[in-house]
Amino acid sequence: MGYLNNTAVTVDAILTAKGRELLARGDGSFRITQFALSDDEIDYTLYNPTQPSGSAFFGEAIENMPLLEAFPDENQIMKYKLVTLPRGTARMPVLDIGYSSITIKQGASLAITPQTLNYLSQTALYESSGYTFTISDVRLFNNFNGVGINTPDVQAANQTTTIGTSVSKTVIGTTLNISATTINTLFGGNTSLSATLQVIGRDSGARLQIPVIVTKTS
Amino acid sequence: MSFKRLDPEDFLVSIDSVTATAWSTNTPVLSTFFTSSTTSTNDSYYKNVYQTASTETSTAVQFAIAYGNKAGSGSANFNDSVPGVSPTRTVYGQYRNLVYGDENAQFIFGAVTASDFWVISVDRARYKEHLLKGTFNLTLTGSGIQTLKLTDNSGMVSTDTYLDCGRVYQIISGSNGVANTSLNANGYSLSSGSYGLFLPDIATIILNPLALSQSINLNPSRSSDSDGFNIARLFTAVSGAASFQVNSEETVTSDFVFVRARNSEFNYSENPSFISGSTGDVIYSTFINSPQTYMTTVGFYNDTNDLLAVAKLSKPLTKDFTKEALLRVKLDF
Repeated sequence: MGYLNNTAVTVDAILTAKGRELLARGDGSFRITQFALSDDEIDYTLYNPTQPSGSAFFGEAIENMPLLEAFPDENQIMKYKLVTLPRGTARMPVLDIGYSSITIKQGASLAITPQTLNYLSQTALYESSGYTFTISDVRLFNNFNGVGINTPDVQAANQTTTIGTSVSKTVIGTTLNISATTINTLFGGNTSLSATLQVIGRDSGARLQIPVIVTKTS
Repeated sequence: MSFKRLDPEDFLVSIDSVTATAWSTNTPVLSTFFTSSTTSTNDSYYKNVYQTASTETSTAVQFAIAYGNKAGSGSANFNDSVPGVSPTRTVYGQYRNLVYGDENAQFIFGAVTASDFWVISVDRARYKEHLLKGTFNLTLTGSGIQTLKLTDNSGMVSTDTYLDCGRVYQIISGSNGVANTSLNANGYSLSSGSYGLFLPDIATIILNPLALSQSINLNPSRSSDSDGFNIARLFTAVSGAASFQVNSEETVTSDFVFVRARNSEFNYSENPSFISGSTGDVIYSTFINSPQTYMTTVGFYNDTNDLLAVAKLSKPLTKDFTKEALLRVKLDF
């Protein structure tokens, strides 16, 4: 992975692994309809609002930094999205799913219902558009289903299947129902398998990523 | 909200014609020519021409030379009991089919019908999609010090002519698509016909031996025991003059997406360093009313929020309530 030449602003796009999968599927699911912006790599502690040279220099440590090339792994990029919130927002929306990590036994089930804190002037709420749940390796679960949002596009999205490869899967809902895999051969010689679960509020843009561990029982 | 829908007018499909030098040397004019000394069963049909010695690692086929004759003259018969059926007859039929698509057609150069021709077929990797009309410049040497500069007449015609193989231009004496009118306004003698046909859509150049014979005394052998002689004859004429220029042309389709961030959008971040502690407080009090974010990445999603493509900026772009951003992202896939 190399640095990009930052003497001129250039923007070239690459496909993610998920994008390649959907493009190969050829069923119309590879259709760009929306975008998001992120500030991956930015460390806002470098922003210095007490810079003696004045406000024009507050962000000088950030503005000239070279950036890395894009990662094709959709789980390793677009992590921290820029969000549109009313001016005067003092607290950013934060997700709470009740776990800092998930360890689940082989074959066991779990339901996860996130809440969003500091959003729409409320301490905690369930977002009306629901949440996007992305597991980095879909093979770890026999079931990975989002429920609670019954619009046709969401229901269609939740019915897509991913077979045989260690790619991510994304579902939408107010609650995520998961049941860990029962396939022993997937473990090989290991006693557990790991993945990451990313939850994003569809209204707020708040994001949470936690590790998920499936432990072998036999 | 972190996602913003793209409007139909945010997408642009741009189709551009890209031209380039055809040769592996990346120079407009190819001036060194080599053939392989290794004999091949195809030598009776054609000979590949390289830009360097064929033993060097950088060597690549630039074009091939062949000779075709309607009567099969210029090469040995496949079978002595079947006269007139030889590699040159095969080449003649092959190109007649390719150019005219009619087994009864005859090659006509200008207004003169010919029963044989030389053909230069540019390698696929060199010409990409087409040869670019008006860039064909080939110098040939004949006997002695005679030389002839050939070009296509695309600069002199107002309407393109088509055969079964696509566009066709007469090869004339001149340069860069314009005739040398010292001989004739057409750039060739009416009695011997044009110097050949320039067929850019199949990257083929067909040369008329009669015109070359009258101009620079470049004659093919029509003996039945001259296998490969005529190919070598044209190779000598090309390599002796050391100047063959032609450009390639291809159509490149690019998809662009215009990403617009309005002044009121994308001014806060879910970046952990934007937040102080676990309560979600923004890191600096000045960020409450004057937040500042630095976009580094654009992500493109489908309706189900699958991340399909990503684009990284080469340096962070500042965004706040006083700024709007318009990014043009090229989709290269």
